[in-house]
Amino acid sequence: MSAAGTTRTEADRLRKGGRLRVVLRRPETGAFVVMVAVVAAIAIASDGKAFNALGLKNNLSIIAQYGIIATGASLLMIAGEFDLSIGSMIGFTGMAMAMMLKWGLPFGLGPATPFTAFALTLVMALFLGWLIGSIVVRSGLSSFIVTLSFLFFLRGLTEVSFRMINQSTQVSGLPDFKQESWFAYIFGGQSFGWLYDLWFALGGNLNRSGGQWVTGLDARVVWWIIIAGAAWLVLSRTQAGNWIYATGDNRDSARANGVPVDKVRISLFMLTALCSTIFAACQVFDTNSADAAKGNLKELEAIAIAVVGGTLMTGGFGTVIGVVFGAVTFGLVANAVFFIPAIDGSYYRVFVGVVLFVAVFLNEGVRKRITGGL
Amino acid sequence: MTMTPLIRVEGLVKRFGPFTALNGIDFEVHAGEVHALLGDNGAGKSTLIKILSGVYQPSAGQVYVDGKPAHFSSPRDASLVGIGTVYQDLALNALMSVTRNFFMGRELYRGPRPFGLLDMAMMNRVTHDEMIKIGIDISDPGQTVGTMSGGQRQTLAIARAIHFGAKVLILDEPTSALGQKQQMEVLKTIMKVRARGDIAIIFITHNEVHAKLAADRFTFLALGEVIGRGTKAELEGEDIRHLMAGGVPIRELEHELTAVQQGPRI
Repeated sequence: MSAAGTTRTEADRLRKGGRLRVVLRRPETGAFVVMVAVVAAIAIASDGKAFNALGLKNNLSIIAQYGIIATGASLLMIAGEFDLSIGSMIGFTGMAMAMMLKWGLPFGLGPATPFTAFALTLVMALFLGWLIGSIVVRSGLSSFIVTLSFLFFLRGLTEVSFRMINQSTQVSGLPDFKQESWFAYIFGGQSFGWLYDLWFALGGNLNRSGGQWVTGLDARVVWWIIIAGAAWLVLSRTQAGNWIYATGDNRDSARANGVPVDKVRISLFMLTALCSTIFAACQVFDTNSADAAKGNLKELEAIAIAVVGGTLMTGGFGTVIGVVFGAVTFGLVANAVFFIPAIDGSYYRVFVGVVLFVAVFLNEGVRKRITGGL
Repeated sequence: MTMTPLIRVEGLVKRFGPFTALNGIDFEVHAGEVHALLGDNGAGKSTLIKILSGVYQPSAGQVYVDGKPAHFSSPRDASLVGIGTVYQDLALNALMSVTRNFFMGRELYRGPRPFGLLDMAMMNRVTHDEMIKIGIDISDPGQTVGTMSGGQRQTLAIARAIHFGAKVLILDEPTSALGQKQQMEVLKTIMKVRARGDIAIIFITHNEVHAKLAADRFTFLALGEVIGRGTKAELEGEDIRHLMAGGVPIRELEHELTAVQQGPRI
C-alpha cells in the first residue's frame, strides 16, 4: 500500500527548523563566532590594553583600513569577479596624490591643493577601474589574470614614475595639510572626538597626569562606516544589490532576465578602485608621506577578509555584515603584537592561513545547506 | 478554430551557411491551446523556437503575431509582444531566494534606478500569489531556489514568464531531466495555464505519453520540415511514435533491434 505517503508534499522534505537553523544558514555566522573568540582572546591576553582608549583608536585605525578595501572586494566577489590590483592601486593612487602635492599638478596646471590632487587621482583610479572592468567584460578572460597583470603593471608604473619625477620611491615631509585644509582633514584628521570627550567627562580616558589622554579616532573609521553602510544598503535592499547577487550566481541566467551584468561588473571594478583611492588618501593625509611599496599584498588580505566574512569564492553569496566581522578579526590579530609583546608578529600570517582555510570549509557547508545539499 | 492564431508562421526558412535547418515551416498556435512540437534531435525544433523567441532571424518566411507581421531583432522584441520562453536551464539562480529569482531584472522598487529600495513585502506577496495560482504553495518566499525540486523550479519559471506578460509560452522540454512524479506536476502546471484560456503554450517534448496527455494540437518535424500535423482527435489511432521518430517506421527499427539481439555477426 502506498497510502501512507500521499499526504506529504514536496515542500515537507525541506526541514524548516527553528531560529538556530536560520542563523546557521546566514553567511556571517561563522565570521561572528570567530570575531567574538578573537576579541575575547586578545582582551584577556593584552590585559584589556587592546580596548582601552588608545588601544581602541589604534585597532580601529587598522580595522577601518581593512574594512574599506574588503567591502569593495567582497561586493566584486559576490558578483563573481576578483580584483588583484587593489594593493597596486593603493600604491599608485598614494603616489599620484603625494607627487602632485609635492611637485604640482601635471601639464603645468600649477600647485596642487589636497582637493585637486585627490580629485585628479580619483579620476585616474576610476578610469583604471573602468578599463579593467571593460577588458574583463569584453575579452571574456578571467578577472584573475586581467587584474594580476594590472597588479604588476601598476606597481611597476608607480615605482618608475616615482624614480623619474622624484628620484626616490618615497615622498616624505609633506606639509601637514590637515591643519589647514578641511578636505585633507576629512581623510587624515580625527573623528569621534566627542565620544572621547564624553569618555573623559565620564571619568575615563585619563593620562598619567589626569588630563584627557586620547582625543579621538582616525578619520578613516568614518570612511569605513560610510562605505560599509552604503554597501550594506545597496547590496541587501536595492535593485542594484539584486543584480549583484544575480550576476555572481549565474551570469547567463541573470542576463537572460535582463540584468545588465556587464555594467554591474564594470561598476564594481570602479568601486574597488574608489575604495583603494580612499584608503590611500587616508594614509597620505594622515602621515604626510607616500611610498611606492604601500598597499603591498592588500588585495589578497581583502579577499581573505571577504572569504572569512562568509563570501563565496564562486560568487553569488555573501553579506557586508560578514565582511565587517572579518575586518574586525583581521585588524585585531594584525595589531595584536603591539598589545601582547610576548608573541611573534608573524603569527598573524599563521592565523590568517588557518582561519582562511577553515572559513572556506565553513562557507562550503553553508552553501550546501542553503541549496539543500545539492 | 476561426479565431486569429496568436502566432502564425508561414514558409519559415532558416539557413546556417550551406546548412538548411528549417525548410519552409507553417505553424500556428491558438490561445488556450497546448501545441506539442515533436521531432527527433536535429529535426529543427530548437531553431524554430529560437526564431519565435527572437534569438535567430529567419532567412525567409514570415512570423505573424495576432495576425500582424512581426520582426524580432532580439529576444527583447519577442518578449515585448508577449512571447515568453522557458528554456531547459530555466534561467534561475540557485543561491537566490524564490522572490529574488521571480523578480530578477524586473524588481519592484521605490526611488532612482538602479539604487531604488526594493519593495520586498510586495514582491514576496506577488510571488506567493502567482505560485498559488499555478498550484504551488511556497510557505517561505525567502527560501533559496536551490532547495526546490526540479518540478517546482519549472513551475516558478513558468509563473514568472506569465506574470511578466507572456501570452505565448514556449516550454523547451520541461519534463526531461525530471522524475516521474515531478513530470506529472509539470504537466499539471501546463494544464492549469491552459485552463486560463488566454495563453498559448508551445510544448516541446520527446515524450509521446506527455504529448498525448497535455496537447490539443501536434506538429511533427523531421529534417527541417513538417511531416505531420493535426489535432488530438485527428491523430487518434495514428502512429505518433512513427512520426516522432522522423517518419522511420518503428517496426523497421524493432526488426533491426531484434536482429542485433539475436546474434552477433561480427
